[in-house]
Amino acid sequence: MTKFRYIIYALTLVIFACSDLEEEPVGLLAPEGFFKSPQDVQTVINGAYGNMATEAFWGRKLSLPLMLRSDMVTIGDVGTAARRIDHDRFTVSADNGMITAFWPKSYQIIAGANEAIAGAESLGLADEEINPVVAQAYFVRAYTYFHLVQLFGDIPYLDTPVDNLEEATKISKTSEAEVYTNIIADLKFAKEWLPDNQPTRALPSKAAAAGYLASVYLTMGDFPNAYTEAKYVIINEAKFNLELVADFQDLFDATKQQGQKESLFSIDFNGFSDGDTGRDYQGALTGIRANERTDGRTEIGEGWSVAVPSVKVYNTWDGRDYRKHVSLDTIGVFKGVVQPFSYFPTASALNIASAYCAKYTRFPGAVSLGNARGTEQNYSQMRYAEVLLIAAEALNETSPGTTEANGYVNRVRARARNRAGVLTNFPADVPTMSQDAFRTMVLEERKWELAFEFKRWYDIKRRNLGPQVFGAAGLENQTGFDPTRDYLLPLPSDELQRNPNLMPNNPGY
Amino acid sequence: MQVLKKIKSVNYFLLGLFFLVGVSVNAQQKSISGKVTSNDDPLGLPGVNIIIKGTTMGVSTDMDGAFTINVPDNNAVLVFKYIGYVTKEVTVGTNQTINVVLSADVSNLDEVVVVGYGSAKKSDITGSVSSVKSDELNAFPVLSAEQGLQGRAAGVVVQSNNGAEPGAPISVKIRGNTSIGASSAALVVVDGFVGASLPQASDIESIEVLKDASATAIYGSRGANGVILVTTKKGKKGKLTVEINSSFASQTISKQLDLLNADQFAAYQTKINPGYIQGPANTDWQDLIYTNGNTANHQLSFSGGSDNVNFYVSGTYFDQKGVVINSGYERFSFLSNVDAQVTDKLKLGFNSFGSRGIKDGVSTQASTGGRGSGDVISIAYRFAPDLGILNAEGENTSNSVGDDVDNPYAIASESIDQTKTDNYRANFYADYELIEGLSFKTTFGFSTLNRTRGTFKPSSLVTTAGGQGGIAAIANTKETDILSENYLTYKKELGKGNLTLLAGYSYQKSTGERSTAGAQGFISNSVSFYNLGGGSTPLIPTSSLTETEIVSQFGRLNYDYDDKYLVTFTARRDGSSNFAKNEKYAFFPSGALGWKLSSEDFLKDNTTISNLKLRASYGVTGNPSIEPYQSLASYENIYAVVGDKTVNAIVPYQLSNPDLKWESSYQTNFGVDLGLLNNRISLSLDYYNIDTKDVILGDTSVPEYVGFLNLTTLKNIGEINNKGFEITLTTRNVSTDDFSWTTDFNWARNRNKVVKLINGDDIFLDSAPGHFLQDETHILREGEAVGLFYGYEYLGVNQGGTLPTGTASFTNEAGEELFADLNDDGKITTADRKIIGDPNQDWTAGLNNTFKYKEFDLSVFFQAAIGGDIFSYTALELASGGANATTEALNAWTPTNTNTNVPSAKVRGKRITSRFVYDGSYVRLKNLALGYNLPSDISEKLGMDKVRLSLSGQNLLTITDYPGTDPEASYQSQGNQGSNVNQGFDYGNYPNIKSVTFSINLKF
Repeated sequence: MTKFRYIIYALTLVIFACSDLEEEPVGLLAPEGFFKSPQDVQTVINGAYGNMATEAFWGRKLSLPLMLRSDMVTIGDVGTAARRIDHDRFTVSADNGMITAFWPKSYQIIAGANEAIAGAESLGLADEEINPVVAQAYFVRAYTYFHLVQLFGDIPYLDTPVDNLEEATKISKTSEAEVYTNIIADLKFAKEWLPDNQPTRALPSKAAAAGYLASVYLTMGDFPNAYTEAKYVIINEAKFNLELVADFQDLFDATKQQGQKESLFSIDFNGFSDGDTGRDYQGALTGIRANERTDGRTEIGEGWSVAVPSVKVYNTWDGRDYRKHVSLDTIGVFKGVVQPFSYFPTASALNIASAYCAKYTRFPGAVSLGNARGTEQNYSQMRYAEVLLIAAEALNETSPGTTEANGYVNRVRARARNRAGVLTNFPADVPTMSQDAFRTMVLEERKWELAFEFKRWYDIKRRNLGPQVFGAAGLENQTGFDPTRDYLLPLPSDELQRNPNLMPNNPGY
Repeated sequence: MQVLKKIKSVNYFLLGLFFLVGVSVNAQQKSISGKVTSNDDPLGLPGVNIIIKGTTMGVSTDMDGAFTINVPDNNAVLVFKYIGYVTKEVTVGTNQTINVVLSADVSNLDEVVVVGYGSAKKSDITGSVSSVKSDELNAFPVLSAEQGLQGRAAGVVVQSNNGAEPGAPISVKIRGNTSIGASSAALVVVDGFVGASLPQASDIESIEVLKDASATAIYGSRGANGVILVTTKKGKKGKLTVEINSSFASQTISKQLDLLNADQFAAYQTKINPGYIQGPANTDWQDLIYTNGNTANHQLSFSGGSDNVNFYVSGTYFDQKGVVINSGYERFSFLSNVDAQVTDKLKLGFNSFGSRGIKDGVSTQASTGGRGSGDVISIAYRFAPDLGILNAEGENTSNSVGDDVDNPYAIASESIDQTKTDNYRANFYADYELIEGLSFKTTFGFSTLNRTRGTFKPSSLVTTAGGQGGIAAIANTKETDILSENYLTYKKELGKGNLTLLAGYSYQKSTGERSTAGAQGFISNSVSFYNLGGGSTPLIPTSSLTETEIVSQFGRLNYDYDDKYLVTFTARRDGSSNFAKNEKYAFFPSGALGWKLSSEDFLKDNTTISNLKLRASYGVTGNPSIEPYQSLASYENIYAVVGDKTVNAIVPYQLSNPDLKWESSYQTNFGVDLGLLNNRISLSLDYYNIDTKDVILGDTSVPEYVGFLNLTTLKNIGEINNKGFEITLTTRNVSTDDFSWTTDFNWARNRNKVVKLINGDDIFLDSAPGHFLQDETHILREGEAVGLFYGYEYLGVNQGGTLPTGTASFTNEAGEELFADLNDDGKITTADRKIIGDPNQDWTAGLNNTFKYKEFDLSVFFQAAIGGDIFSYTALELASGGANATTEALNAWTPTNTNTNVPSAKVRGKRITSRFVYDGSYVRLKNLALGYNLPSDISEKLGMDKVRLSLSGQNLLTITDYPGTDPEASYQSQGNQGSNVNQGFDYGNYPNIKSVTFSINLKF
């Protein structure tokens, strides 16, 4: 009998030693003790790049409103989400679904940069060793706040990681002016420490920092400094390995972008993604419904006809401009038949009779999903052409009528004359002009050169072009546009509830 | 065994006594012989006590149910008594032979029911417990035992997550939604193994559903959703029994939608887009994807036992071909139970279970229906009927309206989605009586679940995978559980009372390993997912590991005084690794009182009231509701590209959350058990109130500019209340030797209310398919039930001219949709939305009538769910213009057809409006079964103990006003979170089926 008793005792001992119930996750990353080398700082900065290339930021939620708010892009499919239409028609409310998506994502990018900067400090390394790496984080932070300050004006500004939630929940908005001051400080640090050249344009170099400084000063109306920074880039173009790509079309050919020397900083997509992280939607948003056109491009399927230039864009753009040919699609193929854009609405009721944006649908590379979602497109955030145009615009404000300013624009125009290897005579060089005429000309030049590249809305805002371009004579007659309200977006209303110290919202919301 | 022996010796003693008495005293006596059988077992009942009324004289039946007894005269009355059966009295009369059929006592109060870590007489139970027996679970062949539970127990709601999809998960909820974000699924305990999956229905002896806190608190932090205790079949002492059960079923879908044909569709699209060019075909896509399904189910079991050992072994094979082409499920499984009484004091046992299931799935209920998504059902509805399967170039067609999707026939027949699940569980126990009344039981169990899901979409599916050259992926999951439980049970008679004490300790460790891999760009479409290396581009692989430990102490005290007053106290203390740093241990107490009025002197001899018991209980149980590592500060990997190359990248994910804890349910239960007329009528009434506190809500009050990827901090803030009433009624309406009629009825209502949300703010939820582009479809609001539909109130068609007061359209044109303008600003904006429907059912019920006439039996089982609304995304999509439409579109508004409720044909945003809210009430003839047992003399000639044939039909009749295919809709309700808040949505469900089943049951 006792032998059984022993069996029972033995079984009882099978019971495991008392567990302390502490969780020891394997394969999960704990922040504590994470930073051990500059490579770890880079990994966190890479996270910020990854956050930029998400649907909630550059993949759709930020990039699409930037297009729609401009006069170059309106709504095609009127049945699309109201949160999109509201940006085109300036009927945005404080709970707009585009804003509530890119707002947190923007701050996640910033938090990554802050985490990297704090982590770099914790390493205690020599400036020469760590600063060239961490300067990217300063650039990323400045880049992101630059978007936010242009879109919202006064904003909550954080430059350290949050470890005390209660305190962070109570902060007030930082004034637009102060945010600009901080952006400039970050970019100056980046300009000081970033290398002249990076292995890829997806990493910011000294040129990117200087180029962005020029853009920031231009936006602030500080033309002397804008000129200085742009000029700094231009005189060092060889050192920075910058040039204008010979064929304008190649800039938007995903298979040719890597290695091009025109971009200063780009957000890269490689056709893969983890859900919406790493996925862009421009091809789908700007594509033609029911279009079967392939003619050498990847099979991408029909588009969604969401973001479409009004037909006035086609009608007012000089047909001799090669950039018009690159930027717009005027034909589609439906049921095997080539049709002009007047036929588009017949092919699908969701289309409008207009030329469609072609920059992101013609050569998107391999696509991971239908409708040209998840392309290999790299989105240059600043091209060297823009730096030239900044220099020209700024110089015209400080000393009008210089051949130097004309020369910058002419470089851009000369490239546009290269029609896929055939030199044409359009657009011609800039004649001598008055200061006002030059200013108008250079803004128009930006409109065509940088069409659908997410710059136009910021130009409209900084030059107060709204009443003109959204008036009856503009490309889009948007009666809803109100210059006292619409140059700024509302902060998300739920964010104001979370932190009432952010109130009041921007005027008119 | 010892007890049985004792009974036997008593019998022999009685027999002997009788013999002595008989010989010496009464010479006039006559000898009566006969056989006792039961209405559910013609084999004969061994050990039935037969006593001559008014004496102590009697005999008991032998192994075959036969008996012989000497009676004094013809006036003698024989009393046949057997545990579990209704006692029967027969006057001897002139008979020499008396054969008696005993009927099972469905409300047997001496029946022993299983409770957590023990068992108790049903009459001594103080909590709320429903029992479901084997014959109810197996009334018709079911793939999983959950299906057999539907409608069988009050307060237990069973719902398939996807219509009749072979192998679809089925959710079982007890007493409503007690959480928002955590699972409301009941805890399943199989033969003591906590957290097991249910075995085959045919291997289950009984299921006890523990509903109130008194019954479930012994399971502590996992008891809040109720507990389903499963006891599998055991061998019985006696002859070796071999049973073969086979059934064959033929299935058809219960309903198709009435859609436009090609000509009607072209006319409709031409109204939307005058340039529409009609396609070349006329295709009924529903006809193409639906087929006749069939099911075969076979079980072979053998069981038996000696004085010391009993065993039960069973193997089953189930094969189902679904009603959607290319869908099906096949499963092999086995179960074995061995129990050995090694010595007087030591009992050892081992049970094991194993199964392999192979599910061939077709995509249904897809979360989005945009380009390249492959939801077969919803696409069959919306796909243009004027297209054929192949276009002129011989490629699969893609839709010509709305989002670009492949045709449903191509998706169903060419894509592969196969899931293989291996499940193995073994549980060993030893039960040792340390001293008189004190026994120690230890169990050690292990279970593992391995699942491989392979998917392949060939490039011939043009929009789905054409651009990628085919997409293949494999996902592997391995879940293991180790469970060790050890407890002492002490039983002692204290004066007029009985005391039972239980104390124990338990340790459980769960490990989950997951990995995925995939590739695209295949040269051939023939490799399926078994050659990922053959893809030109690999997809991002993933892997993860989670470990959870739970350490618990538990105890229970039962005291029963004078068989009148019952007291139960239960407590459990759980410590879990999942719990956050400052809240590692949780304590869950409960108490219950019972008063058996029928044992009191004033009722004891009452002939009408045979049983009357009052019950009351109160207690706290928990819902673990916290995922592993959820409370830790963390970084997270993120996909990032630099220079077109994927790089290592991480982002700040969340701050630590050291105070996060489980959700607690405070439950009160009052119950009455009433038995009338010798328990021919038995009735149980239960009222309950469950206050669930510390409900975990995603607190979004942390400003988003703080910048963590995880924007919501989980906080124990919310409160939910569920209260309800349950009726269980069983009546034996007629009970004669030849004919019996039994009715089982259960009815339950649950009222569910959101009591507290963060700052009282509404929580808006979204369940719409992705391509609907909606953000807010339903709502949580304080004071309202969970998950109400939220949208615009549809008031018909805008007839132009001056609109009625308080109405407006998005675009003020004749033929547009007209909505209530709640704020009277002349416009329809998001401010004009309101609650437009409630998916929560008013009540559910089950009604089963069983008739037995000689060898025939007939069972009629109705199940009903009344008062729940359904929001149909299907109807919304089919009215949106960018899809095929139902024939309702033929009555669309036109300037000449103004008297209609259907707006003009046009492409419109897929807004949530009351136009698509329907009453989802239904009454369903769940099962109609006719059975026939071959008379025992014939079956014996065939060499069998029992031969039973039955023909049954499932879902033959459904009474409902719901215009969709099935009122049991459950879109987006999979997973933990979904099941609480996403109720009553209908989109792309695998259709429900009607089936006709033939079964044969042989016993040797």
